[in-house]
Amino acid sequence: MSTARSLVTIILAVALLSACSQVRPWERGYLARKEMAWNTDALESALNDHIFFSKEAASGGDNTAGGGCGCN
Amino acid sequence: MKPKPSRSLIALSTSALALPGISLADAPPTQSTASYKISNYQEDDLSRKEAPFGDLDRYNIDVHQFKLISPVGRNFSVNIDANYETLTGASPWFTSVGLDGNPDVNLSGASGIRDKRTEVSIGARYYLENGSIGSSIGHSEEDDYRASYVGFNGERHFNNDLTTVSLAFSHSADDIFPTDAELFGRVISESKYSSSAVISVSQIINQFSTIRTAFSSTEQRGFLSDPYKLIDFRPDNKTQLAWSNSYRRFFVNRNAALHLNYRYYHDDFGISSHTIDTSWFQNLGRNYQLVPSIRYYSQSAADFFTNIDDFLKPLNEYQSSDYRLAAFGAISGGLSLVADFGNWTATLTAERYVASDKYAAYKVNQPSTALVKYNRISLGFDYSF
Amino acid sequence: MLLLRRIQTTIALLLVLVGSTTFAVEEGDKVPVFDFASIYADKPNINLEGLEGKTLFIDFWASWCAPCVLSLPLYNEMYHKYKDQGLEVIAINVDNPIEDGLDFLLDTPLDFLIPQDPEGDAAELFGVIGMPSSYLISPDGNVELVHMGFRSGDMEILEEEVKKVLASD
Repeated sequence: MSTARSLVTIILAVALLSACSQVRPWERGYLARKEMAWNTDALESALNDHIFFSKEAASGGDNTAGGGCGCN
Repeated sequence: MKPKPSRSLIALSTSALALPGISLADAPPTQSTASYKISNYQEDDLSRKEAPFGDLDRYNIDVHQFKLISPVGRNFSVNIDANYETLTGASPWFTSVGLDGNPDVNLSGASGIRDKRTEVSIGARYYLENGSIGSSIGHSEEDDYRASYVGFNGERHFNNDLTTVSLAFSHSADDIFPTDAELFGRVISESKYSSSAVISVSQIINQFSTIRTAFSSTEQRGFLSDPYKLIDFRPDNKTQLAWSNSYRRFFVNRNAALHLNYRYYHDDFGISSHTIDTSWFQNLGRNYQLVPSIRYYSQSAADFFTNIDDFLKPLNEYQSSDYRLAAFGAISGGLSLVADFGNWTATLTAERYVASDKYAAYKVNQPSTALVKYNRISLGFDYSF
Repeated sequence: MLLLRRIQTTIALLLVLVGSTTFAVEEGDKVPVFDFASIYADKPNINLEGLEGKTLFIDFWASWCAPCVLSLPLYNEMYHKYKDQGLEVIAINVDNPIEDGLDFLLDTPLDFLIPQDPEGDAAELFGVIGMPSSYLISPDGNVELVHMGFRSGDMEILEEEVKKVLASD
């Protein structure tokens, strides 16, 4: 019984994985658009990070920063 | 006036440039891109009510940013970043009790401050079959502040390129040497070190949407106080944790993309914060794009924050009246217009930011009077060749 | 024994499931039989039968794929250089809508065959696993080379292979 159950589980897992992989390489036209990037304008986001870092206590996020400045 | 060592203008990780799983083989960019952006940042002046004496002018900063990224051979890309900033104005020096019992702010410098900052960094990236690795070094120089940093990062695609995992590390060594130190009894020279690590996982959900989650941890040690404030004494160690989440979705029938980001932050000064921001990238015909954005931020106060400097408190007890350690909230909104003509892109951005204890999501026991409001306007160009 | 059989069944099922998503044309395979509609409404279908005896360079591309856009003008040069020796280039456009592909072609005219594949049927048939992907087919229908991605220096590699196949014919 437990073997059957694990069998079903494995099949479901694989089915899920293949369901996930349904975005085929040739179907990624929308994802490839510039406005879909995590960061559409490197200078803009660097400037914003810089300003928010100097005006707010929180920092850190999805990339690491360089060294400090004394800006406040 | 450079109390708070702050985040570099140059983000070290270039992994943000990568789109998730567009092609199985990762590859250097096909073209070189040079970018330049000029910005003016202007804080609203304080009112006489907030600062009964001295200067009312706060910061006015001009920023020039430059970036060049180029493919080199089959497997490499290199990038050079440079920034130049000039600053005038004043910043809060100390706080005191006003006649009405509320805190007053006293700005530094009768004649205000003038300063400039120059920063340069270079980086290289190597592209493998299923990912890439990169590193960079940089240096930033001011009259009273110097920072040198190094970073490494890598990313790898899995699961038919539907999943990307990336890791980044950086380390910075900073020196602080305040101006007029002897005249005002400031520290002569101090240093501070920061190390941070980030892990992120991004996933393609379907043809139209992707999601990413990231954890970052930063350890700072050394002189973390504000050398310019009359009284400011903080722990010499700080651990910061952040959990960031991003979502992107393209709407075919509207020809627009939605960006949604949320971050939770906590540090051992006792500050927690929420940040949520969203942008709508509306394509207008082939060549134009209009991008409204809105952002909400709120933080709790540091354990040792005081809105009125306590000159009687023992010198070995932590205290700071830095408004950035107060509980407050901030709302900002911006609008960008992007014009794209083949190899050229021009971007014009205007932004308004207002911080207030009224917007706080956390309890405000001691409101700060020095919270900032500012306007920012930027004009940027990108050229691909 | 029963357990073993179950494991075998599981593996077989897994292979079926995984196989359905990872089938790909590989070097040494025979080229799949195809019949594609041209991206141009006024041009005839492009099929294997009509290309008998030719050396085929089949490429999958899209207007949103930066390395593809880089490679296509170079393929056009290669086409003109070797078409008299029996080379045919077939660059299958997977843009959806195909107007995006047609817009690109307005700016970058290409002289070889360009089938349309907005639903990805052709890409599915070849089991394309990355963009761009190209396949070099000998006149007798053997897949001589499968190449993925397009980086600087790749054109020289591809041209060498094309020359080899043309010479061995």
